[in-house]
Amino acid sequence: MITADLATVLPELLLALAGLGLLMFGVFHKGDATRVVSVLAILAFAAALLVMAKGDTQSITAFNGLFQVDRFTVFSKGLILLAAAFTTAMSVDFLEKEKIGRFEYPVLIVFSTLGMLTMVSAGDFLTLYMGLELQSLPLYVLAAYNRDNQRATEAGLKYFVLGALASGLLLYGISLVYGFAGTTQFSSLTLVLGATEGAAPSMGVIVGMVFILAGLAFKISAVPFHMWTPDVYEGAPTSVTAFFAVTPKIAAFTLLIRVLEGPFGQLGHQWQQVIVVIALLSMFVGSFGALGQNNIKRLLAYSSIGHVGFALVGLAAGTEMGIQGVLVYLAIYLFMNIGAFAIVMLMRRKGVAVEGVDDLAGLSKTHPALAYVMAGVMFSMAGIPPLAGFWGKFYVFMAAVQAGLWTLSIVGLLTSVVSAFYYLRVIKVMFMDEPKGEFDRHIGKPAKLVLVLSTAVIILFSIFPGPLLSSAKVAAQVLFPG
Amino acid sequence: MFAAVLVASGVMVISSRNPVHSVLFLILAFFNAAGLFLLLGAEFLAMSLVIVYVGAVAVLFLFVVMMLDINTAELKDGILQYLPTGAVIGILLLVELVALFGSWGFAPDVEAIIQSQTPPIAQATNTEALGMLIYTKYVFLFQASGLILLVAMVGSILLTLRRREGVRHQKIADQVARTTETVKLHKVQTGRGI
Amino acid sequence: MFEIGLAHYLTVAAVLFTLGVFGIFLNRKNVIIIMMSVELILLAVNINMVAFSSFLNDMVGQVFAMFILTVAAAEAAIGLAIVVVYFRNRGSIAVEEIRELRG
Repeated sequence: MITADLATVLPELLLALAGLGLLMFGVFHKGDATRVVSVLAILAFAAALLVMAKGDTQSITAFNGLFQVDRFTVFSKGLILLAAAFTTAMSVDFLEKEKIGRFEYPVLIVFSTLGMLTMVSAGDFLTLYMGLELQSLPLYVLAAYNRDNQRATEAGLKYFVLGALASGLLLYGISLVYGFAGTTQFSSLTLVLGATEGAAPSMGVIVGMVFILAGLAFKISAVPFHMWTPDVYEGAPTSVTAFFAVTPKIAAFTLLIRVLEGPFGQLGHQWQQVIVVIALLSMFVGSFGALGQNNIKRLLAYSSIGHVGFALVGLAAGTEMGIQGVLVYLAIYLFMNIGAFAIVMLMRRKGVAVEGVDDLAGLSKTHPALAYVMAGVMFSMAGIPPLAGFWGKFYVFMAAVQAGLWTLSIVGLLTSVVSAFYYLRVIKVMFMDEPKGEFDRHIGKPAKLVLVLSTAVIILFSIFPGPLLSSAKVAAQVLFPG
Repeated sequence: MFAAVLVASGVMVISSRNPVHSVLFLILAFFNAAGLFLLLGAEFLAMSLVIVYVGAVAVLFLFVVMMLDINTAELKDGILQYLPTGAVIGILLLVELVALFGSWGFAPDVEAIIQSQTPPIAQATNTEALGMLIYTKYVFLFQASGLILLVAMVGSILLTLRRREGVRHQKIADQVARTTETVKLHKVQTGRGI
Repeated sequence: MFEIGLAHYLTVAAVLFTLGVFGIFLNRKNVIIIMMSVELILLAVNINMVAFSSFLNDMVGQVFAMFILTVAAAEAAIGLAIVVVYFRNRGSIAVEEIRELRG
């Protein structure tokens, strides 16, 4: 019994042991161990990915329903592990140049990723909460990681206060749901809520669900819980921002899908309205907020709010196709963002990192290759065909149209046009403006690899969409049995 | 009674002007909450609330408050300007929540889904019952909470520990490692130097 | 004397919860008080959990409350560490002065 359970959590177990081992190794290693520990952490991510890929893809629950594994979790865990490995790879050079490399950094990333894996396969609100906290606590620390920098510590403080408030809301919601439904387990919750079908569901459960939604909306930084995003993205060290922008978002988003479509599936009408409003607001704020930004990290922060809005459109549709669209969107979002952040990390002049959009001026003349990659990423984010970003939007909007959410899709198209404006501004600055001086020439191997990979995915997706589409479809089917 | 004191000290925590007073009221609040837990029959939680919170967390708070040595004079009152709107919204939220509790009833066939019923007191005390659960059904989460505490430890050390240059440390290992070969013993005669 | 029912416990918890939330939003003075408000929120959740657990005759609520207690302690430690680091850089923890980064 216990062996079978342990076999189910093998990837998590592996990461936990790796984290502990790396911590010990870092402590006893003489000299700076950041690079070695980072490489080992990436290996651990890869090993976990392999173990997971080889494992059984049937739906299994372990530990009395606390933990569940199925194709949906495998898909999202794959994305999370990939994102974590890439961002760790990119950050090694960055940390060394900023002279803030310490071996705790990769260790904290490993633990945070472990928390994400746990929460993605939660089968019970208890697991959800523990995973969420295991994910957030290292993130609070990482945001304030550059501890001698005022802006970084301020970012950490803001993130901590708002994050703690969000988990408080989430917990209060969970306690209400527990009290009114009598259980915290997803599967029994589905039964309880299914039993009252026809009759109005208990008010307590609905109120609790709204609190839970608010807590999770904070984690994916959807409007109106987005206030922290630009500040934290700007203040935290860029490598941490890259991690923030991609990995926890994917995790929290899949968790949101799981919770809404699983236990609260019966309350579809109630949460659909909330999600529609949140999606609308996020798309608005994401596109209009970014217009006046000159700091590239803030710009990417608003852009990520906008992307969350677009992805929520697919969730609002609430159909299998919508969920498939969201999953495809998240995968493409991953590759676009690590591409963009890899370039932002390379923006340094005479050893000092610069972050202004106008610092990119004339990039096409000084570093043509970088400029073309950045242009590709920006076009893709703006959703211009035939790049991958267009297809991501296409699938979610198609799902929304099929579900009859016309307003949502029309507003989505309009805001996507508005947001194209600021993406194009970046491209204009790179290609039209006079150069402001060269960036440092040195580009590390991991950065090159990440750039090539993300460009390849962005371009090739429209030619070979098959693998991603089909695996997303399989994953989405799990949530809609029958 | 517990509840009344609890709420009153909760008010004082957020409105007190001196942070040290706030911490003390927080401790009072925790004591009263522990009293409530006792009334509800959760003895173990009541005790751990007192030990963990009053013993550890509150002291940590006090420690930080004192360490940061905030000048109480600079903490001018600014709370009043937001108070009216805040109070109105707060009371509205509260009324809604309380109205909600009126509607509480047992969910239909709740008996069937309860995962782990409280054993009768004759069979196991509260502590035993809790222990039976967390080491069997919830062992996975028990491990996870261990990791969370580890992360908290690593994180706070990472953030606050500084290695200062030029501070002399006692190197115990070196001292212990001395042998007669590394230390030369002299017999000093009285009245003479070496 | 009237009988004390579940609703009374829940009301106390709700009052504490509201106090905590408003402690966060109204506070203009001191970050540490904000963190204490977070503790109040978690305490409210714990009261809710234990009350429900006692009235449902179900241990899960108490197990949950215990895990919340653990995590809350860890969270307080990290939060205070961040506050200390921030204070070292700025020399002040007044909320109004946290505006280096403008949203």
